[in-house]
Amino acid sequence: MIFTILCQAMRVPKLAEAKTILVMKLTAVFLLVGFLQVSAAGFTQTVTLSKENAPLQQIFREIKKQTGYAFFCNIRLLRKTHPVTIRVKNGQLREVLNLCFANQPVTYNIINKTVVVSERPQPSTPQTPAADTLPATITIRGKVLDETNGQPVSGANVVIKGSNKGVTTDAGGAFSLDARPGDVLELSFVGYQSQEIPVRKDASLTIRLALKADKDPLAGVVITGYQQIRKESFTGNAVTVSGEEIKRVNPQNILQSIQAYDPSFQVAPNNLLGSNPNALPRVNVRGSTSLPSGTGDVLTRNNLAGNVNLPTFILDGYEVSVEKVYDLDVNRIESITLLKDAAATAVYGSRAANGVLVITTKAPKEGKLQVSYNYELNITTPDLTDYDLLDAAEKLEYERLAGLYESVGRLSRDEMQERYYRKKKNVLAGVNTYWLSQPLQTAFGQKHSMFIEGGSPVVRYGIDLRYHTMPGVMKGSGRDRYSLGSVLSYAPDKKLLFRNVLTFTQVNSKESPYGKFIDYARMNPYYPKTDSAGRILQEVDSWEIDLQRSDPNGQFQTDHVLNPMYNGTLNSFNETKYLEMIEAFSAEWNITRSLRLRSLLSLTKRVYNTDFFNSPLSNDFFNYGRDMLDERGQYYFSNTTENAFDGNITLTYNKQLGDHFINLAGGANLRTFNSDFKSMWAVGFSNDRFTNISFANHFPEGTSPSGVYNIERLFGSFVSLNYSFKNKYLADLSVRMDGSSKFGTENKVAPFWALGIGWNVHKEDFLQNTAVSQLKLRASTGLTGAVSFPPYLGETTYEYYTDNWYSTGVGAVVKNYGNQNLQWQKTDNYDVGVDLGLFRDRLFIGSRYYYKLTHGLLADIMLPPSTGFASYKENLGDMENTGVELSLKYVVLQNRQWTVSFTANMARNQNKILKISNALKAYNDKADQEQTNNKDLKGTPLLRFNEGQSLNTIYAVPSLGIDPENGREIFIKRDGSHTYEWSVKDIVPVGDNTPTAYGYFGPNISYKGFLLNVIFYTRFGGKEYNQTLVDRVENANPRYNVDSRVLYDRWKQPGDKALYKNIADQGTTFASDRFVQRDNVLELQSVYLSYDFNKSFYSKLAMRNLRVAFTCNDPWRWSSMRIERGLEYPFARSFTFSIQTSF
Amino acid sequence: MRYIWLIIGIVMASSCKKWLDVKPVSQVSEEDLFKTEAGFEEALTGIYSRCSAIELYGFELNCGFPEVLAQNYTLVGQDFHQYQQTAIYNYKDDDFIRRKDDVWRGLYNAIVNCNLLLENLDKNGDILTNDKYAIIRAEALALRAYLHFDVLRLFAPSFKSNASANAIPYVTTFSNKVTPLSTVSETLDQIVADLKQAKEIIRPFDPILKAGYVTGYPWVYYDEQTGNDQTEDDAATLFLTQRRHRMNYYAICGALARVLLYAEQKEEALQNALEVIDSNKFPWTNNDNFIESDPEKKDRILYKELVFAWYIPNMRTELANKFTTEATGLFLEDNACKALYETGGVGGDDNRFKEWFRLISGTGNNISRRHLQKYMRENEINRHFLVAPAIRLSEMYYIASECAYDADPEKGATYLNTVRSNRGMGTPLTISNKEQLMEELVKEARKEFYAEGQIFYMYKRLNRGITAQLGGNVPPSDQIFVLPLPDYEIEFGNR
Repeated sequence: MIFTILCQAMRVPKLAEAKTILVMKLTAVFLLVGFLQVSAAGFTQTVTLSKENAPLQQIFREIKKQTGYAFFCNIRLLRKTHPVTIRVKNGQLREVLNLCFANQPVTYNIINKTVVVSERPQPSTPQTPAADTLPATITIRGKVLDETNGQPVSGANVVIKGSNKGVTTDAGGAFSLDARPGDVLELSFVGYQSQEIPVRKDASLTIRLALKADKDPLAGVVITGYQQIRKESFTGNAVTVSGEEIKRVNPQNILQSIQAYDPSFQVAPNNLLGSNPNALPRVNVRGSTSLPSGTGDVLTRNNLAGNVNLPTFILDGYEVSVEKVYDLDVNRIESITLLKDAAATAVYGSRAANGVLVITTKAPKEGKLQVSYNYELNITTPDLTDYDLLDAAEKLEYERLAGLYESVGRLSRDEMQERYYRKKKNVLAGVNTYWLSQPLQTAFGQKHSMFIEGGSPVVRYGIDLRYHTMPGVMKGSGRDRYSLGSVLSYAPDKKLLFRNVLTFTQVNSKESPYGKFIDYARMNPYYPKTDSAGRILQEVDSWEIDLQRSDPNGQFQTDHVLNPMYNGTLNSFNETKYLEMIEAFSAEWNITRSLRLRSLLSLTKRVYNTDFFNSPLSNDFFNYGRDMLDERGQYYFSNTTENAFDGNITLTYNKQLGDHFINLAGGANLRTFNSDFKSMWAVGFSNDRFTNISFANHFPEGTSPSGVYNIERLFGSFVSLNYSFKNKYLADLSVRMDGSSKFGTENKVAPFWALGIGWNVHKEDFLQNTAVSQLKLRASTGLTGAVSFPPYLGETTYEYYTDNWYSTGVGAVVKNYGNQNLQWQKTDNYDVGVDLGLFRDRLFIGSRYYYKLTHGLLADIMLPPSTGFASYKENLGDMENTGVELSLKYVVLQNRQWTVSFTANMARNQNKILKISNALKAYNDKADQEQTNNKDLKGTPLLRFNEGQSLNTIYAVPSLGIDPENGREIFIKRDGSHTYEWSVKDIVPVGDNTPTAYGYFGPNISYKGFLLNVIFYTRFGGKEYNQTLVDRVENANPRYNVDSRVLYDRWKQPGDKALYKNIADQGTTFASDRFVQRDNVLELQSVYLSYDFNKSFYSKLAMRNLRVAFTCNDPWRWSSMRIERGLEYPFARSFTFSIQTSF
Repeated sequence: MRYIWLIIGIVMASSCKKWLDVKPVSQVSEEDLFKTEAGFEEALTGIYSRCSAIELYGFELNCGFPEVLAQNYTLVGQDFHQYQQTAIYNYKDDDFIRRKDDVWRGLYNAIVNCNLLLENLDKNGDILTNDKYAIIRAEALALRAYLHFDVLRLFAPSFKSNASANAIPYVTTFSNKVTPLSTVSETLDQIVADLKQAKEIIRPFDPILKAGYVTGYPWVYYDEQTGNDQTEDDAATLFLTQRRHRMNYYAICGALARVLLYAEQKEEALQNALEVIDSNKFPWTNNDNFIESDPEKKDRILYKELVFAWYIPNMRTELANKFTTEATGLFLEDNACKALYETGGVGGDDNRFKEWFRLISGTGNNISRRHLQKYMRENEINRHFLVAPAIRLSEMYYIASECAYDADPEKGATYLNTVRSNRGMGTPLTISNKEQLMEELVKEARKEFYAEGQIFYMYKRLNRGITAQLGGNVPPSDQIFVLPLPDYEIEFGNR
């Protein structure tokens, strides 16, 4: 259904064309705005004029040009005026004005270089102003509008200068205030430059004012999701990035972009899934605050499952999943704010410990219909530079050296030699297949994104449409997104504002039918991929393998080499689709000038469907015997329905009282989320053509449909205060009470709090007029929480034996020991920071130090099995994270045409486990066991948890390297002695994956309409275990293709000082520190170049602006380590061209 | 307007705690389960299902390592089942450790289910009718005792060997607190107490005690042997059918007889055994049914004689694989099997040897193998359910024989001979002394209980050497009879 809507939507451009004419008419209106602009340059006070029958406006413009005096007037008033004929040379301003205003229905008044034009008082009611008495108060009614988009600015402060009398504007931007003529109104609001307006003599005149926005309106304000706080007076730690900036770094991946602006927001590289567009990133902010738990499997760094350290994502006030953010249209983003320390996040209470990311989307602007359109062409190419494999001739030589062509089982040496020469013949005939490129493609993705907006001050509307395809570099994989949204806002009077947002999103993701990329890296280059007729072969070779068993039946085995390309020729598929609907409604009520009530209700529904079909002809079923014919072919179907309801209500009080500024917010929020997952498997397909699940033969034996239904509920209320005195001394205080259904029944409600203090030293007198333009000190502390664990842990639950009924009925058994005392994890936060700006902020340095102590980590506690359970959940375990963050910005050059600046940011996070439960000690034992016995894990350093170590510690046996005598590895035992025997007991920490520092840097250059933004990423000082050396050099199966170091760097004869063991040794290499290498990386992550066309050009095309841009992501990389990256899915480079316009 | 918000706020705050109290949907919370009668029934049934798992009575405790320890399988060549180390009493073998630890964990998990059910009966049992309350409570108590008894028989010294030794924890609460160890005799006392209590509670209500309750084959409405309609399938509710698949009154008596004999309280043991025997509820299996060739009419397990059995239809494939006549199946070497059943002598007519074992003649160097047919199934046409025998009528006769002999040797011998004659050995044995009786009883029990997991306990109870295949025996010792506690139990329970 959604798709049909979108198809219709795509026809909208025609509609838009028709509206272009309307838009052009509007232009005239906008040009008038220029008339009101205030210029502050110094000019003379004399005027030379020579005009005949000129309208008063024209005269004013001329006078303004010459004197710099601005004119303030109501255009309606001017319509009543008569044209003026005047001839003056070097006349005084007042004289000239007197001439102009003679016989006019208007008069004037000069206040602070502003000429205020007002209605001439009626002669019948003459004012009798006495010089020695105060003028009578009059009521000033005004309206404050945003200069750039004409939207009313609500909550702006209007204060009479020199008094503490003032008001704030309502939802419609209107205010009314009693003042005396001659007073000066001071207008100020977060995100805008302050302005002073003189009060005219005339009473009850409505004046329309436009506040001038700062260059970057977001620079001055922090959006916490519940309130907006002036950055100047905020003591919390928050980083705000605009949507435009996000787009600049990586238009394809929002989360990657955020990282470039604040490295504390860390997206973990995924070496398995590479650049798979369907791989959701793993994110953490300022280090890990949870221990992996749940699955009970032994963990390697790659399968470190679960996003337990995910920050909380808030979109326009309601919580969303990381997937929603990943699939969000970057063009819709107004700004992203990352809240990091307690002072910033405490209002999120139990969801705050891992940081909070607040996203706001763009609101429609008032005015006639306007269409913004964005087109992107994205080209993605695989990056195979990390692979260095043997070619056909080298590979065959390696096989010979590894002794593969000696007699095996029933095959004599002669027969084996014959096989060798057959392959040699292939090699000599020139067969050298580059298998790596076979499943890959250069992918072309497209994106059309459009926003239509407009409306009156009372009703405003916006419609957004998106069509976005994102194919991956593995053939057949991709992620396509379509969305349709509408925004409607209604302000019936000045006190009320309603807004409704309805969005539909459809995301279709597809995995490649070509399988895992590593399978292609393993294929021998001397195999042809097709037969002589060009058909893709399924079985390309077979090997006889001696399994070294005593049983003569089981000793030898035939290993068939299957062509992974064959799977790609079949009709297998693996698709997940979801349809999402979000309905958000908000209402704002300005109770008084400074008191405002805001409430938001949002409803999200999301339906996922997964269809996975594995063809019966697939390589996976190659070894199925005749008796299992009806087991071939698999279908997996699953459906997940998620419903979320988020509601919040906030009361804010925003007031300037003399030197005191108070921003107080209190509110409550409520969230309920449920997910309903159902799945089933079916097997037995007769052929490849009928792929519907209805063709399946049966359910796999012993399985039954499965389902999981979860409900989570949260209720919280909070009070948050931001206070500043004279803008110098700052304080923030937040308290929140949270109740969550995940807590044990004994602890349903939890308190959280934060306190921050700050000092704007640059506002002190002693720093006025010095090189120091900004110096801000701040410190904060607080308690935040995390409940990133599955629901119902606090509850003793029963499970039914649905698949195994007893003769007297179905049975239910206890599943877990529910710990009713279960609590949230608590994190103590400490954060200190200094912001220093020099030379009018041309050089800006921000630095932070933080310390986070998480206690009550949720952990399994082992029980003696006589209690009936192996373990239960308890809050036990402490972990600390210490870190430093540094950001630097230097404006090298700034003039009319050029802006050259350089930015850099660096972060460091050190993680340390202080206390763990006995279950993790038991886990370590299990890891020891697996390390020794599990064939696949012997060469992998498994995660272990030890007090005093970090989560990133690498555990292996220390090694002295390869003995030149015999090519065997020498290990160091715990007692210091040397041995050839690897023992799990000698495993010690051998390195830490934590880099000394990591971060981003690069220049930002703009020249006229051009903008160049380059971002490098670097990390250094950490260690990494080079898994490639183990899996693909030492433990490599010589029957498959391997890393080239196998042939060149392995030990071959006595005396070789080799890095890697004997080339003929086919035994297993265990994890040792020989493979721990320095992990220093320098990457060019993003190059962005854009050009904004001249107005003269785009206005000819009836456009309001026109920009073309080019972004290049991950074009270049240097690493101190040669490691294969992207094992199941390769990494890719991407190039994006985009055109952005509006009309 | 302001008041509306205020009211909403107050309502929200007051119902907040309740609102946050979320009950799972795809799982069932304890509180929800025990709100209805059906929930109590399901919780009880769940314990039986739990016990029927493969690592407990579904396979391992019936046919697995206790049988291997009793030398009932010939384990040569490739170690398909990883039992070879167990057969030589290597208690440090990983496979053995895994199996016995699973048994410990599984039995205690089932016990905890009993305890939680009992706690909820105390709390919320008043929603049940009197008979349901009594049946559920009695069965839970009896199961708790029954399961503890098997833990005791595996992991503690026998009463005979060392009654005052520290044995196992007798767990009676649902908690994460560690229960201290009881001694062997303390544990036995607690088991007996629970069983006796259960027996008293269930007596007025158990349908099996009703005169009209007739045991027999399922789906058979006229039994040619007794002339009665079996009534086990009939009951007002499914929950009250198949009493013999659950801890019925006589199963409790049988368990008591078994436990009391273990605790060497023979008089009382005899009373309980006789209560089962004299009830005449469990008729001997008609030999025609036993030796029947038509699979539809064949009774391989001697179904009518079962006082208590675990219902295990889902073990069908597992058992078929384990006892397959292929080379990978468990088997007893032909000569050893013949020796066990004394086929050259008194056992020549033993129907058990004829019906329970299938010969696969060896070719060349391969030995001839006897594969067990006791648990064999034909496709859904069998005469009875697939069950794992827990308490047999024959065991009651053995107990009666052993206990009655001292006072009345003739009677004692008669009990033994009754079983033998019902197995096809019409010639009664002449028993001249207690020693001979015990000798014959052990021999008989070895034949009767093959692959039912009981014989190891008998050796242990009597502290007798375990008869090896083809002569000789393994001397009795606690090294063999007492399995080590699981490591986690020692480590986390400070044992």
